Amino acid sequence: MADGSKSDLLQGTLDMLILKVVALGPIHGYAIAQRLEQMSDAVLQVQQGSLYPALHRLEKRRWLRAEWAQSDTGREARFYTLTAPGRKQLDEQRAYWDRLSTAITGVLRTAE
Amino acid sequence: MWWPWRRRDPRIADELRFHRESLIDDYIAAGMDRAEATRRAFLKLGNLAHLEEDVRDVRGRWLEDLSRDLRYAFRTLRRSPGFSIIAVLSFALGIGANVAIFSLVSAVMLRSLPVRAPHRLVQITRLLEGHPGQVSYPLFAQFRDQIKSISGAFANASVTEAALIDGQEDFVTAELVTAGYYQVLGLEPAAGRLLGPADLQPSSTPGVVISDGYWQRRFGRSPTVLGKPVTLRDRAFTIVGVTPPSFLGVRPGQPPDLTVPLIDSLMSDAQRRATDFNWLRVLARLAPGATVTQANAEAQVIFGAFVESQAAHASEKDRPGILGQRAGAFRAPDGFNVLRDNISQPLMILMGIVGLILLLACVNLSGLLLARAEMRQREISIRLAIGAGRGRLVRQFLTESLVLASAGALIGLLSANWVSAWLFRMFVNGRSFNLSVSPDWRVFVFTAAIAIISCVVAGLTPALRAVRANVNPALKEVRAQGQGRFGRGLVVTQLAISMVLVVAATLFVGTLLALNAVDRGFDPEGLLVVRVRSAQPYSAARAPVVQQALRDRLASLPGVATASASQMLPLTGGLWDRGVQVEGYLFQPGEPDHVGFNVIAPAYFSTLATPLLAGREFDERDTAASLKVAIVNESFARHFFRNQSAIGRHVTSVGVTCEIVGVVADAKYQDLRSDIMKTMYIPWTQREGDQPARYSYVVRTVSGDPQRLSPTVERLVGDVDSGLHLATATDYDTIVNRAMSTERIMAALGGFFGLLAIVVAGLGVFGVLAFQVARRTNELGVRMALGASPTAMVGLVLRDVAAMVGAGVTIGTVGALAATGLVRNILFGLTATDPRVFLVAAIAMASAALLAAWLPARRAARVDPVVALRHE
Repeated sequence: MADGSKSDLLQGTLDMLILKVVALGPIHGYAIAQRLEQMSDAVLQVQQGSLYPALHRLEKRRWLRAEWAQSDTGREARFYTLTAPGRKQLDEQRAYWDRLSTAITGVLRTAE
Repeated sequence: MWWPWRRRDPRIADELRFHRESLIDDYIAAGMDRAEATRRAFLKLGNLAHLEEDVRDVRGRWLEDLSRDLRYAFRTLRRSPGFSIIAVLSFALGIGANVAIFSLVSAVMLRSLPVRAPHRLVQITRLLEGHPGQVSYPLFAQFRDQIKSISGAFANASVTEAALIDGQEDFVTAELVTAGYYQVLGLEPAAGRLLGPADLQPSSTPGVVISDGYWQRRFGRSPTVLGKPVTLRDRAFTIVGVTPPSFLGVRPGQPPDLTVPLIDSLMSDAQRRATDFNWLRVLARLAPGATVTQANAEAQVIFGAFVESQAAHASEKDRPGILGQRAGAFRAPDGFNVLRDNISQPLMILMGIVGLILLLACVNLSGLLLARAEMRQREISIRLAIGAGRGRLVRQFLTESLVLASAGALIGLLSANWVSAWLFRMFVNGRSFNLSVSPDWRVFVFTAAIAIISCVVAGLTPALRAVRANVNPALKEVRAQGQGRFGRGLVVTQLAISMVLVVAATLFVGTLLALNAVDRGFDPEGLLVVRVRSAQPYSAARAPVVQQALRDRLASLPGVATASASQMLPLTGGLWDRGVQVEGYLFQPGEPDHVGFNVIAPAYFSTLATPLLAGREFDERDTAASLKVAIVNESFARHFFRNQSAIGRHVTSVGVTCEIVGVVADAKYQDLRSDIMKTMYIPWTQREGDQPARYSYVVRTVSGDPQRLSPTVERLVGDVDSGLHLATATDYDTIVNRAMSTERIMAALGGFFGLLAIVVAGLGVFGVLAFQVARRTNELGVRMALGASPTAMVGLVLRDVAAMVGAGVTIGTVGALAATGLVRNILFGLTATDPRVFLVAAIAMASAALLAAWLPARRAARVDPVVALRHE
């Protein structure tokens, strides 16, 4: 990463990140995109093309709920909120991620 | 139009547009001008339409596509109302006919009794030519007590009785049942209790159970009905319970009002003891784990021993007949279903016929849809060119046929109920069957299934062919050729199906004509048949007085020529038979000595208009005290006396010797198909036996509809004796028609569908020929220009027709021959392989095809070479 290039997201990570962002409160797609870019210090590149299919997939799985409401700019926007199963899913993914990264870090340390 | 799933439309485009606009706003806020901001936003987001499709893919689009296809289908179909109406009506006819017949099949053949585990019920019975008969009480008792593979059995008999309730006399249908009836069925009462062992104790007043229908009709569902006393055959009963509304007895179509325990005092001595008095039906429940095969084997063993002991007491002559009897056990989830035995065969044939009609409708529609796809070739090509998937297009086309088929199915379903009720009335034709034929769940499933199947059958091939169209117009010519061949294939199919239907129609109409031509030996026109019943049986002394008074009063009515009475009337189900000895005739060994036997009043033959061939009729001179006399029919006289006169000869039966005083023409008693029986008649004044007999009265009116007399007759019956009631007054033509009701239905429906098939096939031939002639105008013009005559042009077209008809008729003939086994039993006067039938059918098909070819042939003959060549 020394050359500052942005890496693609790991498979399945996007879902977890979206759930995490939405967990903070009702939020629309554009704001989610912005937040993802900020949160990851613009290191992780979220393809715009994959955000919306992911949002709708999560909605279809009943992890997110969506409804139309006024945004700050006064326009109608589609706001997403986390459902109870969504929160559970987020916790599980997060625990799994922690285990995985601990393990990988461990492997990398031993290898040094 | 409102679609339920519209409300949940996620508005994906709006969401994406919001994203883009927010992005543009942010870029502008960061200092870009609007044009640059917009450009950057587009670069970042890409094609929104594309993105929207991606999201839709995620959400799943099946339902949405369907809704689009449906909307599109409705729009296109609305634009061609002519086609749509024809298509919907074709489907409605094809599907409706199937639903109507299937409703009957479902009601008559597929419904189980609403009792516990109906599939475990078996009927155990004697078999008469493979059909279930009735059994005697001793035989029932043996079956019940000795068969190990059943857990219980009951016997029942149905009677129409006068029941006295609340001081009011009521004729009711009663089911006499042995102990265990409700236990074997496994039925729970809707009110009160059902019959149990207590009801058979001689000490207490036995209970009766009423049906829900009778409770409603007679008591308005009053709860006070429980405990009401009922008098039946002079014995006291108490109403103890009501059966659930779903339970309509064990004889489908003949629901009882009352269910009465078969206590000893309701049975005559003969009914209880005689081993050859067969008057009961037996139903049993298989024991857990037992099979119907085991029950059947046991029943046969028991019955074998039973007839052995019966034969031991019988005369040498009767022994083979007794030992030849068979018995068996078979599944009876629907109880004693007489209707199924009677009409399941014609129903299955009708099911086959309407199945072919639906196939014909589908083939016809296939042609129409194909022509339609042809016209929409431009639209299809454009859609293919801009990247529509072929699968997607096929789905679109199928949706269109689905809309048509569903609309047709809906109309069919709505009208089928009416048709099946009408058909059922025709089938039972005045006999008292009370069966609901309104659609049940099976009918709905069936309708949906055939709608979908016919939609695919009719729509799939045209859809597949339509999308095979190539964007490259150079290939178009080749395709049009193929389309023509496919069209001809469709027409040949239509002709073949029609041929089968026309053969069937010819067979059924021929059968009806042959039956109508049968010599019945009497003239039913102008005859009224009167049947009476009395609340209480008359004594042996009183009965003849009342009966003779009734006959005399009927004869003296104004507008009546003569009146008489008999135990059995022609075409109402047969005669009793009796063993006889005939003076001067020696029976061959093994020759049956039984003849038909009937008891009649004076003037019987003149009333029926049966010709008297020799001697005299019975009259007032023949009394109980006078010389015992008999009249015999022609078959009797010819068989026993050959060419000599029968008059003055003697015939002896049950120990009584009668002198023959007359010979009459043969008449059919069983039905029109059965053979004539050698028959002897004796006067009712000389009948042996001390039990009063029942008679049917027959009245010959002078003119007009005999039925007009009914009210007069009803009053007269009451006048003769206050205990006497009119049961039925029916004109004899109705009775004769009843003897042919199945044949009439088959001829009417078979004929109708045959005619319809011919018309459809003719239209198919016309369509293909017209198309061919139009397409070949150019070629025909060249031929004309080169000197071909108009006759040659007509010949060209006719060769085409001949080829198609030849192929269709041949395939149809093969098909019809393969199916003849289905109809053999119901034919009369001709056989299913009668060459005349196939000739008639082939001529009918050819004539229809020629008629259809006339217009296209004339156009071909009138092609103007100049116009035709310029046409290119």
